[in-house]
Amino acid sequence: MLNIKNLHVKLEDEDKQILKGVNLTVEAGKVHAIMGPNGSGKSTLSYVLSGKGGYEVTDGSASLDGQDLLELEAEERATAGLFLAFQYPVEIPGVGNMTFLRTAVNAQRKARGEDPMSAADFLKEVRKTAKSLKIDAEMLKRPVNVGFSGGEKKRNEILQMAMLSPKMCILDETDSGLDVDAMKLVAEGVNALRDGKRGFLVITHYQRLLDHIKPDVVHIMANGRIIKTGGPELALEVENNGYAGILAEVE
Amino acid sequence: MAALDQTQVKEGIDQETVDAVREVGGAYKHGWATDIEMEYAPKGLTTDIVRLISQKNEEPQWMLDWRLQAYDRWLTKEEPSWAMVDYPEIDFQDQYYYARPKSMEVKPKSLDEVDPKLLETYKKLGIPLKEQMILAGVEGAENAPAEGRKVAVDAVFDSVSLGTTFKAELAEAGVIFCSISEAIREHPELVKKYLGTVVPVSDNFYATLNSAVFSDGSFVYVPPGVRCPMELSTYFRINAENTGQFERTLIIADKGSYVSYLEGCTAPARDIAQLHAAVVEIIIEEDAEVKYSTVQNWYPGDENGKGGIYNFVTKRADCRGDRAKIMWTQVETGSAVTWKYPSCILRGDDSQGEFYSIAITNNYQQADTGTKMVHLGKNTKSRIVSKGISAGHAQNTYRGLVSMHPKAKNARNYTQCDSLLIGNKCGAHTVPYIEVKNNSARVEHEATTSKVDDDQLFYCRSRGMDEEAAVALVVNGFCKDVLQALPMEFAMEAQQLVAISLEGSVG
Amino acid sequence: MALANLKQTATEARLSELTLPVGGCLAEARRAALSRVQTMGLPGRRDEYWKYTRPDTLTQAIAPTAAVFQHDEAPIFDEFDCLKIVFVDGVFDAEASDDLQLEGVQIDRLSDIESQDIHWSKDLYGVLEARGQDPVPRPLAALNTAFAKDGVVIRVTGKPSKPINLIYNHQSESSDAMLHHVIRIDAGAEVTVLENGPAAARFNKCSEIDIADGGALHMICAQGRDHERRAATHLFARLGEKSVFKCFTLTVNGVLTRNEAVVELLGDDAVVHIAGACVGDGDFHHDDTVFITHVAENCESRQVFKKVLRNGATGVFQGKILVKSTAQKTDGYQISQALMLDDDSQFLAKPELEIYADDVACSHGTTSGAIDEEALFYLQSRGVPRRDATNLLTLAFLAEAVSEIGNQDIVDTIVCRLENWLIRRL
Repeated sequence: MLNIKNLHVKLEDEDKQILKGVNLTVEAGKVHAIMGPNGSGKSTLSYVLSGKGGYEVTDGSASLDGQDLLELEAEERATAGLFLAFQYPVEIPGVGNMTFLRTAVNAQRKARGEDPMSAADFLKEVRKTAKSLKIDAEMLKRPVNVGFSGGEKKRNEILQMAMLSPKMCILDETDSGLDVDAMKLVAEGVNALRDGKRGFLVITHYQRLLDHIKPDVVHIMANGRIIKTGGPELALEVENNGYAGILAEVE
Repeated sequence: MAALDQTQVKEGIDQETVDAVREVGGAYKHGWATDIEMEYAPKGLTTDIVRLISQKNEEPQWMLDWRLQAYDRWLTKEEPSWAMVDYPEIDFQDQYYYARPKSMEVKPKSLDEVDPKLLETYKKLGIPLKEQMILAGVEGAENAPAEGRKVAVDAVFDSVSLGTTFKAELAEAGVIFCSISEAIREHPELVKKYLGTVVPVSDNFYATLNSAVFSDGSFVYVPPGVRCPMELSTYFRINAENTGQFERTLIIADKGSYVSYLEGCTAPARDIAQLHAAVVEIIIEEDAEVKYSTVQNWYPGDENGKGGIYNFVTKRADCRGDRAKIMWTQVETGSAVTWKYPSCILRGDDSQGEFYSIAITNNYQQADTGTKMVHLGKNTKSRIVSKGISAGHAQNTYRGLVSMHPKAKNARNYTQCDSLLIGNKCGAHTVPYIEVKNNSARVEHEATTSKVDDDQLFYCRSRGMDEEAAVALVVNGFCKDVLQALPMEFAMEAQQLVAISLEGSVG
Repeated sequence: MALANLKQTATEARLSELTLPVGGCLAEARRAALSRVQTMGLPGRRDEYWKYTRPDTLTQAIAPTAAVFQHDEAPIFDEFDCLKIVFVDGVFDAEASDDLQLEGVQIDRLSDIESQDIHWSKDLYGVLEARGQDPVPRPLAALNTAFAKDGVVIRVTGKPSKPINLIYNHQSESSDAMLHHVIRIDAGAEVTVLENGPAAARFNKCSEIDIADGGALHMICAQGRDHERRAATHLFARLGEKSVFKCFTLTVNGVLTRNEAVVELLGDDAVVHIAGACVGDGDFHHDDTVFITHVAENCESRQVFKKVLRNGATGVFQGKILVKSTAQKTDGYQISQALMLDDDSQFLAKPELEIYADDVACSHGTTSGAIDEEALFYLQSRGVPRRDATNLLTLAFLAEAVSEIGNQDIVDTIVCRLENWLIRRL
């Protein structure tokens, strides 16, 4: 499904190489986790895949179901089925959460040649999904992410994920800043979307999120490359021994 | 009283502040005059006076020509009237433009030969003994052992510079720190190259006047790559009656250098207003950084608004090179009238300007002060933090300009101006000008005006402080952002000044 | 002090093209206003409050022409049931207007009362304008008081069942219109006044508003879509105890707009909100100049201005909150923000506070910048195309000013016009 080959990325304004040849394939229905120390390039990978500006791909490719992602605008990638749950969701004062979500849903439907969702259907759908994520109606009325707690912001990301039903979901440090209860809630939301067809790429610094979202494959990233790949046991190894051991072993 | 314990006094007030505030008593501390025989030039301003000043300083012809040209321009200029200050008309012909202690004519051999009154002055100003000797011009004083912290001092007493301390040590590092009159004689190539290039002769009425009649001031040159080994300090004191002080400061930070410069000012209490019109020019080359801190404590006039210094100052820094940095910090507690806008020309790409200001006005003081941030280069950044406190019958105005030129891509400015009013007979005003001519520039300006927080005052008083001490404490908290920007020694002095300046403002 | 030569000449040239209406109950007020103009002189470029806006085309003797702009949008307030009063190029159009009868209001044409000896508006005409001349002179308003021949005087005695809609049609490309309105809200009375249309090639409007204790006035103004028109509007309001004045102005297009509002809060607990949203493209120059004076205690004032600028447009904001020493417990707020959609635009602002009372909470904020790239990317990453995302964020930016209008139906109407403006520029 998601196919990344030899991806090299540098900062647009600076002569700083961040990704130095990333190779990664996420198959449909699988959950892959990327772990790594700070500054290893994990977040950059998620930004580059979703089309954020400021980066320059110097080599390599990334495709989703055979479609070249790097050619597409950010919104086209979203329409193609890619979704990024941000580590730091942006606050947008003045734009209601509901307006935001409906605009996004209908923009994607339009791009796929579907009719826009009627206001009533949309409302029904949002309410149902929101309820399962313990998001109350009040939160839906407020401006996007403005004044939301850390947990509320992350749940809001998962709500968007559920409403937009993407093929491939990237979760960037979704556990950061969450307490255990908030994390469980988010993980439940994610697990509910695991339907055997969707792919997931879970980026995290710690193993604890992977207790709740069980990965099929775990990758360790360091210095712009994936240096080790293994099963869920690899995450435990990191938890117990830290990154130092693995880094040393590879060198 | 459990609830009270949880109330927070404004963040940033510590025991030190409390002690400082308690310790300081009495009115204007530097309000004494030194009774020294003075040598005056006749009152009034003519070409002859300009010639005399130039001659007394043993200046070359080019300097005299420069002054005379400024004098001609001055005659065509009008006093500006846009500031929110109101003062009786100044008779520029009723001022002395040159005065110096007679004892300076012959160099003393030891401290015994120095006019003891002059030494007394320095002592009262808190200048250490070795510096006292040097300032008094005692031969060989440079070799005497130093005491305490190292700060090179240049003191300007009325019209003339009395001497500069730590000269040899600075020279070793290649730093030139001397009076401007000496620089004109000894380093004409530097003076010629830079003088009047940041504040042109005809910049404004007072700057033009200064260009014609400046009698002395300080000169600093820091060579490429040199980090000035100590803080440089100038002490300005107006002593003689009816005397205008017109000092001129020129600071050049060459590529990759750094210098921190402190300026302190005092004047005796006199019931006739005195004029002060200084010019400070700073040139900052590539990767260089200058910090300029001022504690301005000129005599503010008495509680009925009689006397005091009229302070009309032009200060400007030009960040000529890329990544040049200037930081202005000022604590303005003195003067009857203050008219002062230390400015930053951010010409080099990625250059930065900062302006931190506390202006306190009490009784009948008037202050119209602020800054200009002129963004010309790409990625230039500026930050303005201004705290105005007004008490008694005083008027306090922040006036500022933030200008983003079309070529200043990705420039940033953040401005925060807060005003505090104590009592209902004073005024606090904010007059910012914001001019943005490109969309990649981002400007944010915020201003608030409020009164001293009653809950905080009550909290302090419930711990035993009287109202005045409580106000001083809370006001110090209000000023914290700026006080923090001051060098340590100055910060303490400034905290005390905040307290003194507000005396009699409550009750 | 004598006027500078240049100013004197320009003022005389302008006055030579005008004739002072004589006789009637307003004659004295007109003569006094003329003398104010002669003393102050018309605005010049060196005047402090004309630093950012060139007054030349507003003061020159003959108005520059402006093409009449044809478009297919219905007049903005057509869908609301209003009492319509229509002016064409600054002249009352009786045929197009409704009958001026409405319960709770007394409406007269300015030219009709001119011939009478006594009229209630005599005590207000030119009076509030004259009060508003200090400390900042507003000579174009005095010019209007002296020479405006048309306008309406409205006295609100109750709570009329529907809004009054003043419609300003523009038909001649060389029209130079002056309208002068006087609105008096009696104690406890309340009315909504809607204004729309470009009015003329050059338009000078002066409204004097007196709101008695407990009265309320809601004004919403849309300045039409004509590209080439020029307008200088003035609003002088005086507020009594517990009275409310809320005013919102929408400006799209127009080469030159200067909207001045001068408000005095004279009664305790009064509330004034002045807001504006403007969107400008190309050679658009839009200037909001607001001066609010707090005299009484415990009053609230809000100024909320948002400007969207693109393709070389210029936005100006000059706003002042003056709090006199008597105005304790003042709550003053002011925000002015510009969103620049491209690199050629300019935003020039002078937000001032002048405060002489200590127990107050006053604040102002000004920001300027481009659209937030982070927010744009967030929307794009959710599948919203960049242009739609830009529009969404632009509308969100304008929303704070538009939401100052209390009436949701009118909010929706205004938002719809703004959306159309954005869509037309895709």
